[in-house]
Amino acid sequence: MNAPLAIAVRGPRKQLELSIGCVPLRFQMSDPQLLSAASARYAAFTDVAEQPITIALNDGAPSQDAPVEFGYELEGAALRAFSKGIRFDGVRNQYALDSLLRVLLSWKLLGHSGFLLHAATVVRNRKAYIFTGRSGAGKSTVASLSPQGSVLTDEISLLRREEGAWRAYGTPFWGEFRAEGSNTSAPVAGIFRLLQAAENRVETLRPMAILRALLPNVLFFSAEAEANRQLLEIISHAATEIPGHNLAFRQNATFWEVLPA
Amino acid sequence: MSTPAYVFWQKNPALAWREIDDETVIISPNDSVMHELNETGSFVWKNIDGRKSAAELAELLVKNFEVAPDIALSDTQALLEEMSSRKLVVTVPATGGVSA
Repeated sequence: MNAPLAIAVRGPRKQLELSIGCVPLRFQMSDPQLLSAASARYAAFTDVAEQPITIALNDGAPSQDAPVEFGYELEGAALRAFSKGIRFDGVRNQYALDSLLRVLLSWKLLGHSGFLLHAATVVRNRKAYIFTGRSGAGKSTVASLSPQGSVLTDEISLLRREEGAWRAYGTPFWGEFRAEGSNTSAPVAGIFRLLQAAENRVETLRPMAILRALLPNVLFFSAEAEANRQLLEIISHAATEIPGHNLAFRQNATFWEVLPA
Repeated sequence: MSTPAYVFWQKNPALAWREIDDETVIISPNDSVMHELNETGSFVWKNIDGRKSAAELAELLVKNFEVAPDIALSDTQALLEEMSSRKLVVTVPATGGVSA
């Protein structure tokens, strides 16, 4: 008996529309499994908006001759941004899609005076508290110690400067706490660099120290000079306009007692 | 060996930099490395424009800070050499063109 033929079935192109940090995105894809996984992963962030950024996902079309405005490759998956659209190719699963989405957002946010930061964001009294630090600094711990529903993200925060004021948005990018992100936003109360300690203590930082704390934790993937200049300008605004602090904390919920209201 | 005093210095055009609180942060996009300059280093950095030598930069330092000319020159040369080794600045020979 002949072995059954293996045919790569491609369904009709479907669309998945998202809005993350008020950046509208429209994925066009024909892989039903990837569509299903992405729809579930980003369920809280589905939204239909005018003039979304259109992303052709694994559409198999030959490469365009147009110059690439921004490109990034990660483990066989590739993002290429052209003047007339964006392509994600070689995306095998939702994790690769998630990685390229973070890369794309970090680049697109330049046009919105925004950036992505390794940080947990927790809303308290309608204000967003940003807790930043590398892996192991305590972001997920802070999230796990915060009331249910108050965590915008436990891993990747999105900050935007809107009409001279800073606002934090939830993202669907989660860490150990697996807070799946809340598609809401709040004005930023302050940025807190996490330091584990035996007692809770807050130390106010000068703008230069805030910049020093922010830069290593910013997600950015472009090596292009002008893009980096734009990013540095945005981060400098954040460092001079958002109150910043070192937060030494005991890894229990009492740290809220020392935070400025 | 130090760079001859008659060459001019200019910033590496591939860098991003900002000044905050009289200090300067410089980012090299290719390797995502962050460099910092203190107040006097920032002053020298601001005045690096491709048309000044180490001696001229040191003269400006003397006019704006309380520092002896010989110390200003040796410190400026040391700073430029250090920044050159980090590819933050390049020299411009008198005949034109840029060399690393």
